[in-house]
Amino acid sequence: MARYVLRRILSTIPLLIAITFLIFMFIHLIPGDPARLIAGMDATKEEVETIRENLGLNKPLLVQYGEYMKGLFTGDLGNSVRNNATVWDTIRPCFKPTIILTITSMIWATILGVFLGIIAAVRRGKPLDYITMVIAISGISIPGFWLGLELIQVFSVNLRIFPTAGLSTAKSYVLPSITMGCGIMAILARFTRSSMLENMKEDYVRTARAKGLSEPAVILKYAFRNSLIEVVTVAALQIGGLLSGSVMTETVFSIPGLGRLLVDSINYRDYKVVQALLLFFALEYIIINLITDIVYGFLNPKIRYN
Amino acid sequence: MKRRVAALFLGSMMAVSSIAATAAYAEETSEAESVSEPESVSDSGETGTAATAAATAIQSATSTAVSPDNDFVIAIEGSVSGLDPQNISDTNAISACSGMYETLVTFDGEGNIVGKLAESYEVSDDNLTYTFHLRQGVKFHDGTDFTAQSVIDNINRVTDKDNGLSRRRLFIVTDSDGNETNRIESMEAPDDYTLVLKLAMPYNVFLNKLTQFCIISPTALEKYGNDIMYHPCGTGPYVFSEWKQGDHTTMTANPDYWGEKPSVDTLTIQEVPEAGSRTAMLQTGEADMVYPFTSDQLAAVSGDDTINVSAGYSNIMRYVTLNMNLEQLSKKEVRQAMNYAIDKDAYVQVMYSGYGLPATSCVPSCISYYKEEPAYTYDLDKAKELMAEAGYPDGFDLTLWGDNTTQEIKGMTFVAQQLAQIGINVEVVPMEPATVSDSIYVDKEDAKINMWYVNWSASDRSFDSSVRALLHSTMMPPTSANTAYYDNPAFDKDLDDALAETDPTVLAQLYGDAQDQAWEDCPWLFLGNDEILYATKNYVSGVSVLPDGQLSFGTAALAQ
Repeated sequence: MARYVLRRILSTIPLLIAITFLIFMFIHLIPGDPARLIAGMDATKEEVETIRENLGLNKPLLVQYGEYMKGLFTGDLGNSVRNNATVWDTIRPCFKPTIILTITSMIWATILGVFLGIIAAVRRGKPLDYITMVIAISGISIPGFWLGLELIQVFSVNLRIFPTAGLSTAKSYVLPSITMGCGIMAILARFTRSSMLENMKEDYVRTARAKGLSEPAVILKYAFRNSLIEVVTVAALQIGGLLSGSVMTETVFSIPGLGRLLVDSINYRDYKVVQALLLFFALEYIIINLITDIVYGFLNPKIRYN
Repeated sequence: MKRRVAALFLGSMMAVSSIAATAAYAEETSEAESVSEPESVSDSGETGTAATAAATAIQSATSTAVSPDNDFVIAIEGSVSGLDPQNISDTNAISACSGMYETLVTFDGEGNIVGKLAESYEVSDDNLTYTFHLRQGVKFHDGTDFTAQSVIDNINRVTDKDNGLSRRRLFIVTDSDGNETNRIESMEAPDDYTLVLKLAMPYNVFLNKLTQFCIISPTALEKYGNDIMYHPCGTGPYVFSEWKQGDHTTMTANPDYWGEKPSVDTLTIQEVPEAGSRTAMLQTGEADMVYPFTSDQLAAVSGDDTINVSAGYSNIMRYVTLNMNLEQLSKKEVRQAMNYAIDKDAYVQVMYSGYGLPATSCVPSCISYYKEEPAYTYDLDKAKELMAEAGYPDGFDLTLWGDNTTQEIKGMTFVAQQLAQIGINVEVVPMEPATVSDSIYVDKEDAKINMWYVNWSASDRSFDSSVRALLHSTMMPPTSANTAYYDNPAFDKDLDDALAETDPTVLAQLYGDAQDQAWEDCPWLFLGNDEILYATKNYVSGVSVLPDGQLSFGTAALAQ
């Protein structure tokens, strides 16, 4: 097992280097000159030139990439062009809200999603199946920003239970978590249902029933156990998405998270912040994939030895 | 401006649900406009007076109430990008800094420049020597005394190239060869409270520029250097408490403030990008003031007698540049015809639910030395006549560039529809803002621009800053933003002569003539000036929004 994990970790290094190169090139190839954006529409060409020079933007792209990589290895991510703060100082405060929201949304969405999926599969074709699937489809179809604004209207403005914006108290996380988790709950419910339906047709389920096991035991120990790999795969992908921040939820609930920072930084052509964020997101997917692979190993020992 | 794509998208979705309500308000708006028509004052005061008007109430709360606490919260749309007043350029950061920092001179409610940290000032006859008599007994928040040397230290800091501060441009001019000159030739402090600044050349907007120059505690600068952004320390009515980037900025009342002390305990500027969420915060009382308040939100608060909505004038000029190098657009008749073909009242109605004014000059009315010009009244017959006269009875094709936000595309589409009435077939080309910028700042030979839908606002409210970069012949791309390629020696001369002049009467004449020239020549389609809408709880007083969108909250109070 240790060798398997080590092999997986080592294989991510070339991938990461390729990612830094791609990110760097893509960002610098987008049209738009950060120096002009900083200087303003009325700045003269010379003023813009001075800023370009200060930012090191007039050097050849490969030289800039070299400097970026050097900085990366020495832990210097550079400075934001918006206010000259270090990139790390700019990004650091945005992690906490995004991570907390990811965890809270995932917890309720996974529990409820899987539960609804199992019920729907067990009661296939019955009213309960239709009800849970209507909930699931609504969850996928309702746009996050609309749901967010409606939740604010009902729970903040009318009932005054939860705050509208910001992250001042633990209560502040409730409405954004519901908004973010809704779609994921729906996806998980549908995946669990279809995977369960597949597995419940399998011979071993029939055998388990023939052995006289109780129905809950058949469903949870045999059918659901085998659905877990698919559920874990889907959930892991969702975590990756959530950790990159949700622009819509963060906008509606005024949360200073990673999603809003990314959009703001792209609009400002704040190259260094965008680079750092994208690299972080890539890293995050790699780590999640790694963890998922390891979890597979536990769920299905066959995978470990291949 | 650019980061609002998502917010605009949300806003537009909400707008759909409130179209009916907005239409109902439109009628009321036009009334409000007539009440608040600004008076045109052109030549009084030390530096010329801009016409201004107090905010007009759109919805007035009928009930009286008291605030549940004494903590003032303002919900704003954008973000506070930094708190180093010498290295910021966005309005929200300037607003936040204005609570903690002060300038030598400032604008009064009428748009006149008056003393702030300088009690009074004199300008020599040759317009080169500015003598400031500083206020005595003023202390920075860290206890340091405010003296003439503090100002000198601040100017030295901002002009030092190594610091790379954005406000350096207030004092440094760069010529076309890249050589830099400091506008200030020498600085002297004959005593602690007298400051003498000698300019290298006369510069009539020098005082306007100083309204944008905040003074930081020299002790704090020494201690923190460019990290002063995280440790603001000025002389203002509020003392820095906390800044969480992307979230909020909080300050507390300064008990030792030299002027009228704030009556609230704390003041928080909370960043709330989504308009619907800002409105909700106002309804729940989580926010005491929201800015901007968008017209599509009016329906949501109508009938709520705890909320006041106000409109004030802005310094935002909305226009379309016409590339005069193009053969068709080189003819004055054509450019005038295009101006006649646009219904400016409809423009304001469509774009801002009526909260705006048709443009009446090349600058908005709050700019110093604004002069009202005879309107290009919407007149299709006259427009067609002029087109025929110019030899284009059947029109021609043009492209119109602009940002790809919902609002900008709406404006461009409006212009295209209007021009279609006189046979001009306009292709609307929305682009990502940074791409527009790349397409515009190119050499003259490579310029593909026809028309550009754009806006401009000058924070220092000087006439020069409002037009020089946009219309002076030396400012054509790639140098700067004269994308009309307007080249009128008489206009240039007015602007250049005025820089060396400080006599308000002469300035009014020079800037008046410049406005006559630009208005007659029509290098732009003159569209309109929007109004600034903001909303407050009914227990709030002492706050307003300045024409450049800067919040003014020094005397904010919450009824207790």
